[in-house]
Amino acid sequence: MMLEQLAQALADLEEDEVLEIVRKQLEAGTEPLGILQACQQGMTEVGDRFEKKQYFVSDLMMSGEIFKQVGLVLEPHLKSSTRISGGAVVIGTVQGDIHDIGKDIVVNMLKSADLDVTDLGVDVPPAQFVDALRETNASVLCMSGLLTLAFDSMKETIKQVRDAGLRDEVRIMVGGGPVNGLVCEVVGADDWGADAQAAVRLAKNWLEVGAGA
Amino acid sequence: MNASMNDKKSLYETRRTRIEKTIALKPVDRIPTAFMGMAFAPRYMGMSIADFCEVPENRTEVTLAAMDKLGADVWDGINALPCGRIVPSLTSAWLSHIAAPGRELPADSLWQVQEAEVMKPEEYDVILEQGWPAFLEQYYPRVIDMDELKESRVWVRANLEHVKQRCREHGYVPISFGGTSIPFEYLCGGRSMGRFYIDLYRNKDKVKEVMDLMMPHMILEGIHTAEVSGIPAVWVGGWRSASSLIAPKIWDELVFPYFLELTHALAAEGIVSVLHFDQDWNRDLERFKELPAKMCLLNTDGMTDLRKTKEILGDHMAIMGDVPSNLLSSGTPGDVSNYVRDLIRDVGPTGLILCPGCDAPINAKPENMEAMVAASREFGRTE
Repeated sequence: MMLEQLAQALADLEEDEVLEIVRKQLEAGTEPLGILQACQQGMTEVGDRFEKKQYFVSDLMMSGEIFKQVGLVLEPHLKSSTRISGGAVVIGTVQGDIHDIGKDIVVNMLKSADLDVTDLGVDVPPAQFVDALRETNASVLCMSGLLTLAFDSMKETIKQVRDAGLRDEVRIMVGGGPVNGLVCEVVGADDWGADAQAAVRLAKNWLEVGAGA
Repeated sequence: MNASMNDKKSLYETRRTRIEKTIALKPVDRIPTAFMGMAFAPRYMGMSIADFCEVPENRTEVTLAAMDKLGADVWDGINALPCGRIVPSLTSAWLSHIAAPGRELPADSLWQVQEAEVMKPEEYDVILEQGWPAFLEQYYPRVIDMDELKESRVWVRANLEHVKQRCREHGYVPISFGGTSIPFEYLCGGRSMGRFYIDLYRNKDKVKEVMDLMMPHMILEGIHTAEVSGIPAVWVGGWRSASSLIAPKIWDELVFPYFLELTHALAAEGIVSVLHFDQDWNRDLERFKELPAKMCLLNTDGMTDLRKTKEILGDHMAIMGDVPSNLLSSGTPGDVSNYVRDLIRDVGPTGLILCPGCDAPINAKPENMEAMVAASREFGRTE
C-alpha cells in the first residue's frame, strides 16, 4: 500500500512526500529494489501524463530530480540487491554542439526505465561514440543536437559506426529541437524522438525486440 | 540628393509603411519579407564567424551585403538592427557565458551559450536585498569581460545612427532594436535551465518575489532602447518560458502575467513588442488575446502552429515567420518554395511578415535561402 502511495507521490511530483516514504520504508525493512521499482512506476506514470499533454518538460525535469534524490538515498542499500538491466544504451550530444538539457532529460528517463545508460556528455566526437558502443556492447545509440550544425556530426557518426562494422547490431535514434523525419532520413538514422518520452519508448521497443531486428 | 538616393529613400519609406500596415493588420500590396540570419550572413559572404563577431562594422556590412546578394528587390527589412557585437549582446540576454569563435571555439564555428549554474540559489536573497541593477553589476563579470561589455555598449551608442543610415541606404527597414524579456528568462539563464526549473517547484514563492522586483527594470529597458534608437519596436524574447516547456500552473503565474505587463507597458509608450518566441506556444495562444491588440508581432521559429495562430489571433496581432531552420539546412529549394507558398496562402494576405524561423542557421543552404527569396517574389503579391 505504501509503495503504491510512493508511486503516486512521485507521479504527482510531491518531492517531500516521496523522500519521506522512501526513508520510512527503508527503516521498516522493505527491500530497496521494491522501493526503486515503485519509483519507476511513478516515473512511468509521469511519462504517460507527458504523452497525454497533462505534463510538460518542466514536470519531466522535476520528476528526474526527485528520482535522482531517491537514487542517492537508495544507492548504499542497492549494492547488495540484484538488478536486471533492460539493456544498454549509449547517448551523447554530437560533436560541435554543447547543448545538454534535452539529452539530460532523456538520460534521466532512460535510467528510470532501468536501462544501463552510458552518457558521453556533449560535443562528442564520432570515434568516441564508436568506442563506447564497443566497450558497452550497447545495441541502442541516441544522438542529440540542438543546432542544425549537429546534422553533419550525426551523419558522420553513423558513417563511422558503419565503418566499424557495428551498424547491423546497433539501432540509432536522433533527437533535439530541429530534428524531424526529414533530418532522420538525411543523416541515416533508424528513427527519431520528438521528445524524451518518445525516445524512451523507442529504446525500450528496440531492446525488447533485439537491436538488429 | 541624387536620383538614386531619392529612389532608395522612397523605397525605404514604401517598405516601412508596408511593415507598419502589416503590424496594424491592414491590407498590403505584397507580403513583407524580413531577413533573419545572423550567422548565415558571414558564412554566405565568405567571412569567418570570428571576424564577424569581433569587428562590429563587419556585422552591419556583411549582413547588408548578404541581403543584397540574396535579393535586394525582395527584402523589406531585417528583424533587428544589425548593430554592435553579437557576443556581448547575447550575454546580456542570456546572462550566460557565450563560447565565442576564435576564442573558446574554432574561428569559423558558431557561438554557443554555455549552460551553467552561474547564479547560486542563495542569490535570490541577494537580489531582494540589493536590487536588480546592483546584482547585475556584480554578476556580469562572471560571464563576460567587463571592459568588453562596456566597449561594446559605447560602440553601439556612438554608431547607432550610422548603422540606421546604412540600412536606409540599402533600403532595408530595421523592424526592431534592442531587447528585453520577462524576469523568467534572465533568471533561467543565470541559474541554468536544469536548476531554474527545479526552483520553480521547490522555491516558487521566492522566485516570484524576485521576479516582481525585477519587472520594472525589464519594462524600463524596453522603453529606454526604443527611445535611444528611435525605432518604436523592441525585441521581446521568450524561449525557455514556452508553453510546451512549462507546466500550466507555473506558466499562468510566473510567465504570462509578466508578458502581459511588459507588452502593455511598452504599448502605452507606443512601442511594438516583437515577440521572438522560440519553441511551441500552441497551448496558450488563446491567452495571447489579452496582449495589446495590433501592438505585438509574433515571431515564431516553425514550432508554433501558424495556421492555428492565424485562426485564433488573426484579428489581434501580426505574425512574423517561420521557414524552419531544419528545412533551410536539410531541405531542397523545392521544399522551401512550397513551404513559403503554403504559408502565404494559409496565413496571409494580411498580418504576415515572411522570414526564416528563429534565424536562418549558419549552414542553411544558399540555394534554399535563394528559394525563399524567389518564392516571396513569386507568391508574395496580394494585388
